[in-house]
Amino acid sequence: MASTEAYLTGVGTFLPGPPVDNATLAKMLGVSEEWIEVFIGTRTRHFARDVGTGEIQWSLADLCAQAAEQALADAGVDRSEIEFIVMGTATPDTLMPATVNHVADQLGLNHLPTYQLQSGCAGAVQALDLGRTLVLAGRHRTGLVIGGDVSSKHLDPSLDFSGKAPSELVNFVLFGDGAGAAVISAEPAGRRLALVRVLNQLTGLGREPGQVIEWFGMADRDSDRQALVEDYKAIEEGVPVMAVEILWELLGDLGWSAEDLDFLLPPQLSGRMTAKITAQLDVPGAEEISCVAETGNNGNALPFLQLERLAERIEPGQRALAVAVESSKWIKAGFAVEAF
Amino acid sequence: MTAVLTLEDFTVLVRDELGLPLTDSELDHDLDRVPGWDSLQLLRLVSALERHTGQRVALGSLLEARSLSAIHRLAAQS
Repeated sequence: MASTEAYLTGVGTFLPGPPVDNATLAKMLGVSEEWIEVFIGTRTRHFARDVGTGEIQWSLADLCAQAAEQALADAGVDRSEIEFIVMGTATPDTLMPATVNHVADQLGLNHLPTYQLQSGCAGAVQALDLGRTLVLAGRHRTGLVIGGDVSSKHLDPSLDFSGKAPSELVNFVLFGDGAGAAVISAEPAGRRLALVRVLNQLTGLGREPGQVIEWFGMADRDSDRQALVEDYKAIEEGVPVMAVEILWELLGDLGWSAEDLDFLLPPQLSGRMTAKITAQLDVPGAEEISCVAETGNNGNALPFLQLERLAERIEPGQRALAVAVESSKWIKAGFAVEAF
Repeated sequence: MTAVLTLEDFTVLVRDELGLPLTDSELDHDLDRVPGWDSLQLLRLVSALERHTGQRVALGSLLEARSLSAIHRLAAQS
């Protein structure tokens, strides 16, 4: 039977290793620590590989499985109740098998549908959208929604970063690694958060990508193409405008006013950009829930890191709205949560 | 020993290391009017200056500089 509502009953996250501060990152990249503080405003981030040796310590599947375990424990749900997994990432461990299936393996789950969405900052919201749709359609009662990224795949300590183009260098001071997960269910239980609306909309028709992550095969592995390209000027101009549009579009769809919001989860680009966007969103009555200054921009983990902080603060009857922008091909994303 | 960075050296460094097609007159332009200049170029310039001079460059003072020639003066003093 179809459910009229989908609920987030548990949230979990996992950040690998100790926080890496700006002094350590600046030394590794050979750039100014002060510059990172002033222009990026991110104080710490976590990496799945050793910053000294480059040795891989966690795979994306490891991070996601840890976060999923935390979410299951938080929801008080036994893994046997999980009927599907949806995962969003921009940085899978391998192209095949999809990382979600390794996560299932680590969780001891089998004979269930799994979905992996290839997406950047909007991937976690897209995963929530699909998870919610599966629950509302009555196909499944309970599932796992996961988001995670390992950006440090591109952080090779032996590289000379000083010669990198600005569009490549900027990535190394923004990013981090991590994963998050939520249990989504037709049962109003656990954290008692109703996922009342999800926005997931491509708006990039005819528009150049703001962010590109290349992948290389045997035929082009020696190519001199940049692995990461960020059009940071387009992002600085475009994302705040899109964030405001997302806020008002979601509020309009819900029939809510800005005054109805108790919490606001703004896009998590960097400490400095998030502060700027939050000011432009201009919802002074809502408490801001942000994490990027401590976690770094770990892509698809971010909405879950925000949800985890929200779950600790929100009271029955309160409302929260999250805004996310994927600048790769300009995707508008967001969701609204109501506690009961 | 610390290398002295002349304005000429500085200009070559901006052109070669940052890849900015800087004309001599643009050295005195407001940074907003220097083609290709932005905060990421400042990061790369500070790193390049530190490598060339062997001294740490205090970013705080450079943030108030409004032209590349002013950045050179401050970097040469540090």
